[in-house]
Amino acid sequence: MPHCTPEQLALAALRERLPDTDTTHLAVCAECRAEVASLQRGVDALAVRELAAPEAPVPPPPSVWSGIAAATGVSAAPRPEVVAGSRRPLTAVPADRVRPVTPAPRSERPAAAGVVRPQWSRLLLAAAAALVVGVGIGAGVVALGTGDDDGLAVAAAALDPLDDRGATGEARAVERPDGSRVLELDLSAADPDDGFYEVWLIDEAVEDMYPLGVVRGGGEVTLEVPPGVDLTEFPVVDVSLEPLDGDPRHSGVSVARGVLES
Amino acid sequence: MINDLAAPHRSQAHGGALQRGRRRRARVSVGSVSDDAVPPLGGIPEPDDAEVGRRFAAGDEQALAWAYERFAGQVHGMAVRAFGPGPDAEDVTQQVFVSAWTGRTGYRPEQGPLPAWLVGICRHKIADTWVRRDRQRRAAEAAVTEARSAVDSTGPQVDTAVADRVLLLGELQQLGQPQRGIIELAFFEDLTHTQIAERTGLPLGTVKSHIRRTLERLRTRLEVDGAALHA
Repeated sequence: MPHCTPEQLALAALRERLPDTDTTHLAVCAECRAEVASLQRGVDALAVRELAAPEAPVPPPPSVWSGIAAATGVSAAPRPEVVAGSRRPLTAVPADRVRPVTPAPRSERPAAAGVVRPQWSRLLLAAAAALVVGVGIGAGVVALGTGDDDGLAVAAAALDPLDDRGATGEARAVERPDGSRVLELDLSAADPDDGFYEVWLIDEAVEDMYPLGVVRGGGEVTLEVPPGVDLTEFPVVDVSLEPLDGDPRHSGVSVARGVLES
Repeated sequence: MINDLAAPHRSQAHGGALQRGRRRRARVSVGSVSDDAVPPLGGIPEPDDAEVGRRFAAGDEQALAWAYERFAGQVHGMAVRAFGPGPDAEDVTQQVFVSAWTGRTGYRPEQGPLPAWLVGICRHKIADTWVRRDRQRRAAEAAVTEARSAVDSTGPQVDTAVADRVLLLGELQQLGQPQRGIIELAFFEDLTHTQIAERTGLPLGTVKSHIRRTLERLRTRLEVDGAALHA
């Protein structure tokens, strides 16, 4: 009986059903079986379910896009409602982990793949991105003033409450004649028993942020925008409630937020 | 006064309906809340997948964002299938898009659609993660062995399948078309040679001889480099 053809042996290595003549021969021919086995090592290594074509899609959490944006430095971004695809409930965050987001110097951004974020960051960013989406779509936007002698309003945001404190407000980015920029912020909120309110500029990926300064509930404040900070890149105005703990990082408790629109 | 606590939730609920388009830029005065019924979003019509692929290869940053919108779910689905939901899967997904972007000049639109290319990168990242885990496992076992001062000279074994996968995925990448497409349909979509011939429109004999030659090639690669890798 002749040996199987090389092509048939390859199909046998792929575990395809062969014609009876091939099957019968393989049963008695050690040489052909050895050939199949030697070809099969590659099949066994690669034809596994983990490497198979994609099945059900699973939306990644927002931290994944944040990492991509940080590593590639691209300024384009997917629509926020897509980025926010899989949100984890904020209630799942253990209180001690919501202590986040150091405004890292931009030179320290990870430059390569393999960015591993700590868990708290993932969770916080998820929650924060969800809020940005909400604000961006659901809320009103403050009209730009016509400006006055002190400068020209270039962007404005209505600040919507994020919790039951019901803090609201409005913010205007104003460019002054000397080219410097300030954020004029008006906050309607009860002053906290402990701690204070702090104003932040955050990017849309909710990856990086700059602290601008302190604002009182029911107060108006004019805060200098750091030179070089691109407001189109950091359009989210966020007011956080900071405890008196001396920690310079965002507390993770935001009371009002809005997106600057020009 | 804007005092609309429900706004974020409401818009989340509407998120699915807000298909491609730019966020509306409304100018309303303080005190009014934009209408719940968001009008159809005008703006830029979005290109089809092929156009996204071409722009991606050309380095258009917006194409990366579109690719993420369209294909991140598939890629992440694969990663989750391999590692379960969590940091490993998320890191794989992130690495796929970062590597794809930094290596975008290596994408040839005429060789296949962008999502297929991303899936190919995802396979590499999954295999790399297995290798890393295997290395960690061996390091841990070695530490245990040492602690017990065992005389066992063999030490922790390399998982050969793990190493083989990295090697062979690299070899697949060297294949031209149609060889590569054929073997991928056999390996990753579990098609028989008859189904592959139907799918590709190639003659049965051609499909069979390509399969044979590719399996030989993979075998040779394992014989030549596999041994060195496992030594």
